[in-house]
Order: sequence, then structure tokens, then C-alpha cells
Amino acid sequence: MKILYSQIKELVPGLKAQDGSEDKKVHEICDAFTLIGHMVDGFEKIKYQGKDDYLISLEIRQNRADCLSVIGIAYEVAAYFRLRVELLKVETKEAEGKIDIKVNTGETIKRIRALEITGAKNAESPAWLQELLKFHDINPINLLVDLSNYVMIYTGYPSHLLDKDKIKGTLFWSINDKFEQITTLDGSKIKLGKDEIILEDDKNILALAGIVGGNVAEIDLNSNHIIAEMAIYDRAKVRKNARDLVISTEASTRLEKDLDPNGIDYAMNMLCGLIEEYCPSAKIEKEFSYYPQPRKSPEIKLRPSSPSRFAGIEITPEQSVKILRDLRFEVEKSDERYIVTPPTDRMDVELEEDVVEEILRIYGFDKIPTDQVPTLEVVKDITPAIINLDEKIRDVLSAKSYDEVLSWPLTNKSVNEKVNYANWQMITTQNSVNDEFPDLRMSIATGLVNQLDQYRKKNVEFIDIFEIGKVFGKIDGKYAERESLGVLSCKNKKDLNGFKKVIEGTLRTAGLDSVSYKKSAKVPENANPHSCWDIVADEQNIGIIYKFRSTDPKEHIYFAEINLGKALDLIKISDVKSVFELKEKIITLDANVELLRQNPKVSSRSGGSKTPPSGVEINKDESIENYLAKIKQKIDPKHLWNIRIVDKFAIDGAMRYTVRASYLELSDQQAKKLHLETFGLS
Amino acid sequence: MEKDLITELNSDLEKFSNPDDLKRIYDKYLGKEGLIKSELKKLKGLSPEERRIKGPQIQSLQAKAQELFDKAQQDTMQKKTEKTLEEQRESLDESVPKVGHLHPITQTVRMLNRVFESMGYSVMEGPEIETDEYCFKRLNVPENHPARDMQDTIYIQEPNILLRTQASSVEARILESYKPPFKVVVPGRVYRNEKVNKSNHFIFHHYQGVVVLERTNLKDLFGTFTHLFKQMYGEDVIVRFRNKYYPEVEPGVGLDMQCFNCKGQGCALCKNIGWIEMGGAGMVHPKALEMAGIDRSKWMAFAFALGLDRWVMARYEITDIRTLLGGNLAYKTDKNENTL
Repeated sequence: MKILYSQIKELVPGLKAQDGSEDKKVHEICDAFTLIGHMVDGFEKIKYQGKDDYLISLEIRQNRADCLSVIGIAYEVAAYFRLRVELLKVETKEAEGKIDIKVNTGETIKRIRALEITGAKNAESPAWLQELLKFHDINPINLLVDLSNYVMIYTGYPSHLLDKDKIKGTLFWSINDKFEQITTLDGSKIKLGKDEIILEDDKNILALAGIVGGNVAEIDLNSNHIIAEMAIYDRAKVRKNARDLVISTEASTRLEKDLDPNGIDYAMNMLCGLIEEYCPSAKIEKEFSYYPQPRKSPEIKLRPSSPSRFAGIEITPEQSVKILRDLRFEVEKSDERYIVTPPTDRMDVELEEDVVEEILRIYGFDKIPTDQVPTLEVVKDITPAIINLDEKIRDVLSAKSYDEVLSWPLTNKSVNEKVNYANWQMITTQNSVNDEFPDLRMSIATGLVNQLDQYRKKNVEFIDIFEIGKVFGKIDGKYAERESLGVLSCKNKKDLNGFKKVIEGTLRTAGLDSVSYKKSAKVPENANPHSCWDIVADEQNIGIIYKFRSTDPKEHIYFAEINLGKALDLIKISDVKSVFELKEKIITLDANVELLRQNPKVSSRSGGSKTPPSGVEINKDESIENYLAKIKQKIDPKHLWNIRIVDKFAIDGAMRYTVRASYLELSDQQAKKLHLETFGLS
Repeated sequence: MEKDLITELNSDLEKFSNPDDLKRIYDKYLGKEGLIKSELKKLKGLSPEERRIKGPQIQSLQAKAQELFDKAQQDTMQKKTEKTLEEQRESLDESVPKVGHLHPITQTVRMLNRVFESMGYSVMEGPEIETDEYCFKRLNVPENHPARDMQDTIYIQEPNILLRTQASSVEARILESYKPPFKVVVPGRVYRNEKVNKSNHFIFHHYQGVVVLERTNLKDLFGTFTHLFKQMYGEDVIVRFRNKYYPEVEPGVGLDMQCFNCKGQGCALCKNIGWIEMGGAGMVHPKALEMAGIDRSKWMAFAFALGLDRWVMARYEITDIRTLLGGNLAYKTDKNENTL
């Protein structure tokens, strides 16, 4: 919304610079606008009608349609500076005849007022009007149209003028069900749907109501018999029509907000008064009024203590009442409360909190202290564990020389198909303006791969990167999202096991130490199928680790993805005590396990001895990791320090592992007995 | 005789080459059958007078020989140790390990988290695929409300399933799910249906917060944010609080910081306004509290939302918003940095 300083002063004559500096006063007004809710986002010193003036650009609050006008702005300034507004006096315009208009739109129209005027001989606008409109970014057209726009700027109410001689028969406000197109005043052709509010006659569509006029009954320099109409619609309907048709006009901007239907009277009287003034032979012949439910302001109860309660500082009831009256609110005392009635154009004030805001913004947010750190009461920490897990993982990976990246969660089908390994369906957005990326990522690899490509293009070396973010999919018809960790490393030599250690180290630091691997059930297209494993913890699949397919033998790209939500569940489960008091020496014993045919073959020896293993076979379908997990479950955690594989070698087609177990808080004999029993050697 | 024996011992000690030789030398001179022992044995056959003269000479000889031998043995051990140390020697090379980095958004979120945690806030998160109810309705943004103009939405399944346009959706869930009192911040990614270019993106990073206590007010809100901005930008920072409309709050507050680039004089960074808009805040709208089942007469609540992207761009001198997510963000490495 643009406004000239002279326009404000015209309505608030008390607005004078105390020391004679207009410049200073205008800056003071701009600061006030910003403070009370209409931020000044532009300010320019200009000349209007040969005199110094200022063009102020305001970001009007979304819920203040009344302030999209000179009058509305003037009321705001007057309230802040405690001055009076003197509106242009207008005479009530009435006519005995009735215009033939039918309204067939149900409840989508709140009010219509129309006047038929004869002898309104059109002409070019006077220079002052043309100059003024240009400051408001409106092109001058002709006298009648320009007066209509002038009234809109002044009052906030758009009007629509029709050339009565071009109208065929009766005027109708209808919901469109037959017109496929309208040609607007500027000659644009707009394709219509079937649900717009329109103005039509017996033959033609005359306007998209509340949005833009059509060219059929257009006012031109030959017009002198006109119908002027103003209407207030269901703002949601205007908004929907304008958005569906991708049109934004001065009229739609105002009418898709809450405008007070009562204000039409002043605006229409002003318009007709101006037409009579500039077209001396103009005569109002007929009128039409439609106002099924006249608006009344709500009566709102206000507790005198509420402004202080919300502000945190003392604001007396007297101060509150004074401010409200400066804002044109009626205030009456009733028992221990006030009954506050806002003026009808304040459509935004409905609740006590709205009234409190009015008091506080005029009282001044700048009067509320800002330098006191609040001593708020201590409350329970409800931070979920996943927040801390994310933070820990970021710390660990950056300590392991990995850089964090963040990427787009939107991608496309072909990329998703290359990286997805989960059993879920892709989610597609319905209206993304970014046509190339309509789908939600199913694996966090999408962003990391893109980052890798960008780094390679720009000669970035040492690409070790990770990302924590959401991945998305549909499971059994329901939308699902998971917190996911992706880690990618690009090496110039084979180092899968080095990469594996990074992943394991990260998980172990986070509290998940029982990680194992099995050949992936679902290998992503991007992965080398010979180097792709599911990451398993406590027999649950928590992620994937693989080497990328590559045609370059010198390049080795490794990727791992972890479902952090699942990992967190397991971390909670395996939250065993990891700190202990060491009272006895640790007893370490070895067991040799052969992975071959039906049963695990095991032999025992003390750590470091060279006794050859006798060998026990493990079921051929069982992995060594599963075997060890079972072994672990047999031992009381308070007596187990760790179990690990210290050696492995192939022998006669079997794989032989040396498993080393270290026991706590046990004598030599007790440890040996437990060891033999656990490994089935006794 | 004594002199010859010591000369001979010295000669032997100079020539030996391994620890076994040293043992033989010991046996030759100081062993049970050694030369010195045999001289001592000979004393028995001497007269008392001769023993008085000869005895101390031989004992002196024995002590001297023992001294020479001990020194030789010590030298041998030292050489052996040195040899071992030499064999185990390792050198420091000049390379240093590569350093990993956190994303600037993460770094900024952490800085904010630390400040708010120090004031007793919890950190929460929530879903990015949201429903219309939690993203809009429960925050007092009903269908066709003008405020929705501010937030063009990416829909998954119009009109009910969408990508959240604001982290306030988590606020709606927290208000519904937790019993007051609580103080919570929510860092999170939000989505708007915008074409991606140098200045606009369809993804933004929000930092949302909500406080519900028996007694809190705008003074607490202003104090909180003055403290936050001072922690982030230093004691000299100037903060402005102005009235602003947000449907989720009433009264609503715009949070501005005086432009650090021009100190309020107006420049390109602040679009000649002198202030930089840092976020929005206000007292939680009574309808939002009612929809969450929170008794308005008992509880007071304020909420706030900060947009992090502009902060981060200014702090790290990033000129293109796409850099934050689009692959052009890189981390400077030291010239000696190397992967070990």
C-alpha cells in the first residue's frame, strides 16, 4: 500500500511538525507505522502538484483490509498521535427508481449497492488526479474510471462502472455455469472454470465479480449513462476465484480480505458526489440495494487487568480505555469488566485478546522492557532421545573427518529407483512448482550422490560426507517418514573395511555395539551386488552398506545408511551398564569355532597359547555373528567384558574362527567353567 | 702380575662382541676357576707376612676387575637397549588428519539450542509430512484464511496431506500432547511451493519455540530474545519489537535486529530499512490453546519462529540461498591437510 504524506495530513490536520521539520515528522510517522503493525518498506521524497511530498510504502497487516485505504491509515496515525480524523463530508445519495438487478449467488454476496446515473459525460481526468493515481501505481484511463479508482484508494472500496447503454436487459449476479471465457478491460482473454461469481446481463458476461471487469460494458469516453456498483463478497470465494484464475487486481486484493459491508455507503456517496462535481449534468436516476444481514460489531468483555497480564508491565484501566476510544471503540464499564464495541470496519477484532493487542500496540511495544532475562520457572526436560542421538552421531562423524551436508528431500522417480532399498512405495507431490523434482526421497543417498557429483565437478578432494535427515515412503497406504543417517566416502583405493569401521565406530559410540552383516535382501541399482550388505543389530535390519557400481577402477565409493529410529530402539534395549569397578583380574580364554556343516565345532585354550584347535562345526545356515550373539545371551552381562573374533582362516573348506572371550569378576576356575559350558566344551 | 692381569682383562673387554663372550670373560677372571680366584687360593700357601702384603693386593685386583667388568656389562646393556630403541624408532611425518565439519545450519541450530537449553528449554522435533489440521487449523489458520497466502503449500494429497510450511505444526502437536508447564524449541525444515533461484528456495529452516507457563507475558518474550541476540551477536546488538500480524498469535510481534552491516543507516543487505527481520512471535492465540485443550484462564503461552537461512547466509557470507542445500557448499581445508 502506497500513500502520500499529504493524503494523511489532509485527513489528520493536527499532524504538524513541532519544530517545523516535515522531514523529521514523516520519519516519526514511519517509525510509528512500523511499531503499530504496518511496516514501512519504502520511503521516497517526491513532488506532487509541484510541492514537496513523501511517498510512503507500507506492508499492511494481512487482517486489516480497512487499512488498504487513506482513511484507514489516517485512523491509525490519529490514534497513535492522539489526534482527530476529519473525513471529507459527503451527502447521502438516493434515488426513487429501482435498477433491475437479480442476485442468484446464495450467501456468497454480503452486500451490493448500485446507482444508475445519467448525464455523466466522460472526459479525460484532471492533471492532479492522473498524477495521484500514478503514485499509487494505477494507470489513468478516463475521468469516470479514474474517479472510481480514486475512491478506492481513499476509502478502500473498489467500485465497478458499467456503460448502461451496452447492457442487454437485466443485470444478474450469478455463479458461472455457462461462460467459458471473459475478455477483460485491458483486452486479456481469461479462460473460466464453472464456479466463479460473475456479473452478467441477458446475453453477456460483464465482469468477474470482485476481481476484474469485462470489456462488453466498458466505460469509454462516449459513456454518459452508467451504473456504478459496489459489492462485498465472501472473501474466501473471491480469493479462490482469483487464485484459480491466477489474477490479482487492486479490487481482488481488497475484496479477498474482510471489508466492512457498512463502509459501502460512505464510499458510494463519495463516488457519486465526485461524479456530480466533475460531470455537472449527472443525475442519479435509480438505485439497487442488497444487504440481507447487516453487520453489527461484537460486544467484547475485557478484564481491566488483561493488558498488564499480557504485557508484563502496569497499564492502568484508564490508559486502556483512552487508547480504545482513540481507536473509535466504544467502552462501557459493566461490573468488574469493560464491554468493548469496536467500530464495524474493525473486522479483525473479535476476542478479548484482540482488544488487548489494540491497547498494547498503541501503548507502544517500545515501552515494554527488553533487557530483563526472564526468570521463568524450571520445567521438566522432555527432549526426546533421537535429538541427542543425532547430535552425538554428527559429533562422531565430524571427528572421524566427515563433512556434513544437507540436501533436497525432493527428487524424481529415476533417482529414487537407483537408491531405494526399503520395502515402501514412492510418495509424489501433487503441485510442486519444481517439475523435475516432484517425488520425496526414499533414501538419503540421493542428496549425497548429488553432492558427490558436484564436488567431483569442482575438483574437491577427500570426499567423506554424511547427512542426517528424513526419508519418505508409503507403507500399506500410509505415509511414513524416517530419520536417516547417510554416510558416503569416495576413495582412490579399496577400503571397504576402513569404511565399515567408521560406521561401526559411530554406532558403537552411539551405544549400539552388536552390529553384524548379511547379504542384502534388496540390492539398490546403484550398488555393486557383490558388495552389498544389510546392517543387522539384534537380528533387526537397521540399514545398508554397499560399494557403488563404478566403471572407473581407480574410484571406490562406499555408502551406508542407517535407520536412526530403529537404531535408537535397540540402543534403548541394550542399555547395559558400561561402567564398572574392576576388583579382579580379567580372565581371557579362547575358543576355536569352525563354520562348516551341521554343528559348531569348538575347542578351548587360554589366550595366547599355541594349542591347536580340535574344531567344532557350526550349522551351515548360521553366521558367525548369529552364533556369537547367542553365546553372548548365555553369559551374565556382569561377568562378560567382551567377546571378539581375533583370528580366522580357511581350512579344508571350512572357516575356522578364534573367538576370544574375557570374563569379569570371576576366579580362574569359575571363568574356565563358564567358558567351557558356554561354548559347549564341558 | 696385577698390572698384567688388568691389562689383559681390558684387552678382552675391548674385543668381545656378544653377551656370551662377556660371560666367558667373567669366568676367566672372576669365576670360581678364574685367574683371580686362583690367585686367592694361592694365598693359603703363603706365610702370614706374605699374605698380609699379597692379600690386599689381590683383593684390590679383584675389586678393580669387578669394577671393569661391571662397567663393561653396563655398557653392553646400554648398547643393547640403544639398539632395540633404534630398531623401534618411528618418525613423525608432516601430514595432519583431515578435519570434519558440521553444516552451517547445524552449527547455528546448536548455538541456538545451547542458549535456549541454558534457559531450561527442551529440544523437540516432529513430522515433515503433515496434515492440514496441524499445519494450519490448530494454529488458527482456517481454510481460505488470508494468512495462507503467505505460505504456498506443497501438497501430497490435497487438501489434507502436505509438506509442513512451518515448524509451528510441531507446536500444535506439543500443545496437544504434553501437559503444561513446558518450554520447547523445535529446529526443523519447512517447505514452500517456490521456484528455486538465487534468492528463493522451496526449503527453509525454521527455529520454532513455545512456552506454556502459569504466568508469562510479552516482557518475558522480549527479554528472552534480547538475551538470545546478545548471545549470538554480542552485547552491542540493538533489537526492535514491533506489532505484527500472525494468525497463530495474539498479540503478534515482529522481531528485528538493527542491521549489523550499516548500523541502521540503510544498505543493500537490509533493503535500506536499517533493520533485519529475524522472525515472528507473540502470545499463543486463544483459539490454538482451546483446540489443544489448554485452559486459557490458567495458562499463558508465547511462541516464536525464526528463519535460519538468512542468518546463516549473513554469518557465512553466502550470497546464493541454493548453496545451503544444493551442493556448492564446501569446507576449506588446511594446506597441509592430508588423509592419513
